[in-house]
Amino acid sequence: MPPGDETQQAERGALGPPEVLRASVSPGSRLLEVRGVSKRFGSLRALDKVSFGLRRGEVVGLIGPNGAGKTTLFECLAGVLPADTGDALWNGRPVAPAKRKDFLFYLPDQIAPWADQPAGRVLDLFARLFDAGPSRLARLINALGLSRFLRESVGSLSKGERKRVLLALALAAPRPILLFDEPFDGLDLRQAGEAESVLRGAAREGRTLFLSIHQLADAGRVCDRLVLLSAGRVTGEGTLDELRAKTGLADGGVEDVFLALT
Amino acid sequence: MSGRSWRALFSLEWGELVTSRAFWLFLLAIGPLVGQTFLHAASLYAEASGASGGPAALAQGLSPLDGIFVPAFGAYDLAVTLLYPFVAIRLVSEEKRNGAARLLLQSPGSIAGRLAVKLGGLVLFFLLAWTAGLLALLLWAGAGGHVSAPELANLLLGHFLRYLLATAIALAAASVCEGAASAAIVTLSFTLGTWALDFLAAGRGGWLDRVAKYTPTAGLRLFEHGELRLAAAAVFLLASVGGIALAAVWLESYRPVAGRVARSAAVVVMTAAAMAAASTLRWSRDFSEDRRNSFSRADEAALRRIREPVEITVYLAPEDPRLFDLERGVLEKMRRVIPDFTVRYAARTRSGLFERGGEYGEVWYRVGSRRAMMRSTIEAVVLQNLYQLAGVAPPAREEERSYPGYPLAARLRAAPYLFFGAWPLAAGLAYLRTRGRWRKKWKSVAAQAV
Repeated sequence: MPPGDETQQAERGALGPPEVLRASVSPGSRLLEVRGVSKRFGSLRALDKVSFGLRRGEVVGLIGPNGAGKTTLFECLAGVLPADTGDALWNGRPVAPAKRKDFLFYLPDQIAPWADQPAGRVLDLFARLFDAGPSRLARLINALGLSRFLRESVGSLSKGERKRVLLALALAAPRPILLFDEPFDGLDLRQAGEAESVLRGAAREGRTLFLSIHQLADAGRVCDRLVLLSAGRVTGEGTLDELRAKTGLADGGVEDVFLALT
Repeated sequence: MSGRSWRALFSLEWGELVTSRAFWLFLLAIGPLVGQTFLHAASLYAEASGASGGPAALAQGLSPLDGIFVPAFGAYDLAVTLLYPFVAIRLVSEEKRNGAARLLLQSPGSIAGRLAVKLGGLVLFFLLAWTAGLLALLLWAGAGGHVSAPELANLLLGHFLRYLLATAIALAAASVCEGAASAAIVTLSFTLGTWALDFLAAGRGGWLDRVAKYTPTAGLRLFEHGELRLAAAAVFLLASVGGIALAAVWLESYRPVAGRVARSAAVVVMTAAAMAAASTLRWSRDFSEDRRNSFSRADEAALRRIREPVEITVYLAPEDPRLFDLERGVLEKMRRVIPDFTVRYAARTRSGLFERGGEYGEVWYRVGSRRAMMRSTIEAVVLQNLYQLAGVAPPAREEERSYPGYPLAARLRAAPYLFFGAWPLAAGLAYLRTRGRWRKKWKSVAAQAV
């Protein structure tokens, strides 16, 4: 492994825990409880009494067919879109949508914010906006291999380069729960591996990652637990083994479980 | 949010402004626009001052406020109405389109705080644009032109308030509408609506006329005449605050639409109520050097001694030019000075041509229990009769320093090169600099040369 790669490997795992996790929350405890979230768009029921929980330090995958309501769920949880009904409980207490930004950060898919400004400038200013330390940002930049194109404008980057910049943006926000919509979209095999390593490092430090992933193979490899969403309803929640038991597919892969439950 | 966070947010917003084409198009256009209006005004002023050998107008008629400053800065009114909304709209609409809004919604601080930062950036932008106007002033002063600081400051205040209002409307439209195009249509429709109101209210009187006094055009006109009227300034400010509040309501995307509509209605009602209350404020100050909005100081002192209520009933139709003379020359000046003063408009028709009853054309003055009628609209005649009615001794006619007027045929040879050459060149170079192309091109040219 080339020397630079060793440094990158080390930095991926040493992002440091965000300030808010220094509160005494034991690993494995339920940080976020989502209860009965529903959302309609006219006659279309996008979400129907969605309930599940997220624990500290775990990587949870949200998988489902197209139009299942994955992005809608993320936006309702983040307080970007108003849900019709339902609650999100943080450490057992309901939190209004406007206040959820205090403990979670949602990175949407297919965005190109501040497209005409250099990527490095956007990262630096965004990190300062969240009062994140410069060393943290520097480690993220190295870990995700962003140094090459920090001078380029965000809008001029390729899809994969922009995705990596946005991943760094989200990881710079010192929030205990991070929601990523399609975090590996646009990344090649090597880049996806690097990104996965960075996300795993964040989870090891105690952050909870909730990932909406289209590629089931990625979901099976990266995630500790899965939440299956179909037609706006949760059709399954648990580890792969638990879902196998639920579907009776003892040797089934993620694809088999997905097809059985959605 | 810490100071560091606020500075970072401002830098992001300023970066968005500086990288927008609308920003540079505005800056590119404002120089020649101001230059054209300034040079044309200076040319007319010079002719009126007898520059081309013809007869000069009376020196007392030559006021730099009317002849130079108002026309030169009139370019800003045009630009703020037609060009500037696109700059402000883009700051919100582009954020919504490219996803930055969803990220910023999750950032520390409130939506109101973020809007305040946007407003700060847009104010800085306007100050930058004002350098063209300041350049015109410097050229005028450098050529020996007279500048009255209070007059000028009052005019600039009026333009600034006009700019704030345009900003608030643009930000509100961008927050409510889905895209920039819709927001632009809404903003321009609002402007057209105020122009239509001005047109309809002219010669109508009544509530329509009272409301039309506070359109952007009418409000700015007060400042252009050298008057600072607290009611007008307060209405402009409150309308701006209401627009920003409306923008804040609609940026709360976590709130259901029904909730946002309800809050918007509350904002509109509260703003309208505040503006209605502000319109009753009576304080005003005449900053014009020729005191065109005021009686003489001696007359003002005498009128202030009238303690009894003064009520004037005017039987002149809104379209009657005598009413305009009476308003401008007498009634508006009296409103500023007499403590207890009301005017009742008793004509029943718009034009007065078909008015029934013999009292048309009469103006009745009542002071306490005493009444008198006169038809004159001449200031001296009206005042003399009012003093008699009020039992107040007319003031001695002291020698008040009359307005001297400031004729000048200014030599402005460098001005066309500055406004039509240097300014667009500077704006273009600055644009390329921010894009980095100039730097890259220069580096590649330098590398090739080596």
